[in-house]
Amino acid sequence: MNGNEIAAKDDALFRSIEYTGKNFYYAVGIFVTVIAFAAFLYLGQIISGLGVTGMAQPVSWGFYIVNFVFFIGISHAGTLISAILRLSKAEWRRPITRMAEVITAIVLAIGGLHPILDLGQPGRIWHLATSGRLQSPLLWDVTSITAYFAASTVYLFLPLIPDIAILRDRGTKPRWLYQFLSWGWQGTPKQHKVLNRTINILMIGVIPIAVSVHTVISYIFAMTVQPGWHSTIFGPYFVVGAIFSGIAALLIVMIVFRKVYHLENYLKEIHFSYLSILLLIMSLLWFYFTFCEYLTTHYGNEPDEMRVFFYKFSGDFAPYFWAMILCNFIIPVAILSNKKTRKIKGILFASFTVLIGMWLERLIIVVPSLANPRLGYPTGIYIPSITEWALFAGGIAVFMLGFLLFAKFFPLISVWEIQEGRASSIKEVAHRLRSYLPDELEEDEIKKALH
Amino acid sequence: MSPKTIKFLQYASIAWIWIFVLSVDVWIISLLIVARRLHDAINASVGIGIIAIPLFLLIATALTYVFFGLQKHREVDETRGGNP
Repeated sequence: MNGNEIAAKDDALFRSIEYTGKNFYYAVGIFVTVIAFAAFLYLGQIISGLGVTGMAQPVSWGFYIVNFVFFIGISHAGTLISAILRLSKAEWRRPITRMAEVITAIVLAIGGLHPILDLGQPGRIWHLATSGRLQSPLLWDVTSITAYFAASTVYLFLPLIPDIAILRDRGTKPRWLYQFLSWGWQGTPKQHKVLNRTINILMIGVIPIAVSVHTVISYIFAMTVQPGWHSTIFGPYFVVGAIFSGIAALLIVMIVFRKVYHLENYLKEIHFSYLSILLLIMSLLWFYFTFCEYLTTHYGNEPDEMRVFFYKFSGDFAPYFWAMILCNFIIPVAILSNKKTRKIKGILFASFTVLIGMWLERLIIVVPSLANPRLGYPTGIYIPSITEWALFAGGIAVFMLGFLLFAKFFPLISVWEIQEGRASSIKEVAHRLRSYLPDELEEDEIKKALH
Repeated sequence: MSPKTIKFLQYASIAWIWIFVLSVDVWIISLLIVARRLHDAINASVGIGIIAIPLFLLIATALTYVFFGLQKHREVDETRGGNP
């Protein structure tokens, strides 16, 4: 049986590539318009300088840094979750990993570019090459994000090769692209061995890289002695928040693309149920870290720290702070801990609130500490300008457009991994079950139980 | 596009990956030299360099290994499907 015959069973996975409906062009048109509007305002920022933003003294970091941390956080959806699921041999991972990996690659690129927006003149990035100093945590960020981006892109590309070869063999256009990217894949056992070996190495390597990225991002705050930032738990707190928002983003993307491309046969209720339980656990973990962070600050009662603390709890930022608690903890826990509401609509709603809540969390971390300087200056004000809002919307539009274009050229669900699952999963799981259980079970008994 | 052109582009992409990785490594080494010259958090800088430099090399090596591995283990029959 050749590639075309095997892949015919999974024709639904190629529909987005081989058939382009009107809605695709409408969606691309909308996203391109938003991006063009953001680019136009960004041009204004380049000409006029950062004065067009709401940033001033003492609040010198605003939306751009908030969005930088937020987008990089979402990137943890992909490679990290995918690697953990692969490593733990979770069979239900098969239709999920590709989408997760695509999110990482696109969002990392968007997030990684945000500090350039914050520079005002983008040409200043050249100073990084000529006058950079490793003393600065900002440079640690550059190094770790570049490493994570490189590793994630490779980790996305390698499992994609067999699917690209299927597209090549189906004669899908542009044929040259699939011939170029398939790297001569023919699916021979030795080629499989080479590919699997490398994926396994990367799978292990990518986990510490992913964890290090958000830890290092937290250091740009925690390494300063600024009230509200100088915290020893910021590293793990940021990592937990990143995985939390990443899972929410992954769930939203899965639900939307399942609906748009009719992938109900592949992305089943059980996948959403498992991932939503993971989201629930992360919500509880996030609340635990938030509680620890603010309890120690309050107990310490250090005057400068308390100014920032009350600015968040009962001051100007109180609405955002309590909205964050509502979105990140109360709503998701209420929805996801109840079997009746833990359905796709409920999960979608909870995921949206988590994304809003996590964005608010980044805002609450960045702005209040800067707005309350320790010297005797008045409390600062930060009101984001239309340019900052537009660039935020532009970032989201770039993500959506990127994802849509990826789906236009490559399968969003790993075809070869689905086929591999059909061919060998039951046998493998049966074998694994036998090794877990204390009693010797007959293969037939296990197969019956599995069915 | 002819098979020869595609082959050339594939080799060029591997070369480009190595150029990228080596450029990043050279940049990190230059930062280490600056840190040493300025007595500027040299321990932290070396720590980052020790992790980052081999990491980028590992990524490029992995891609190169897969590329040449796939080329080496191709079958003569070009019509075979790209399935597992």
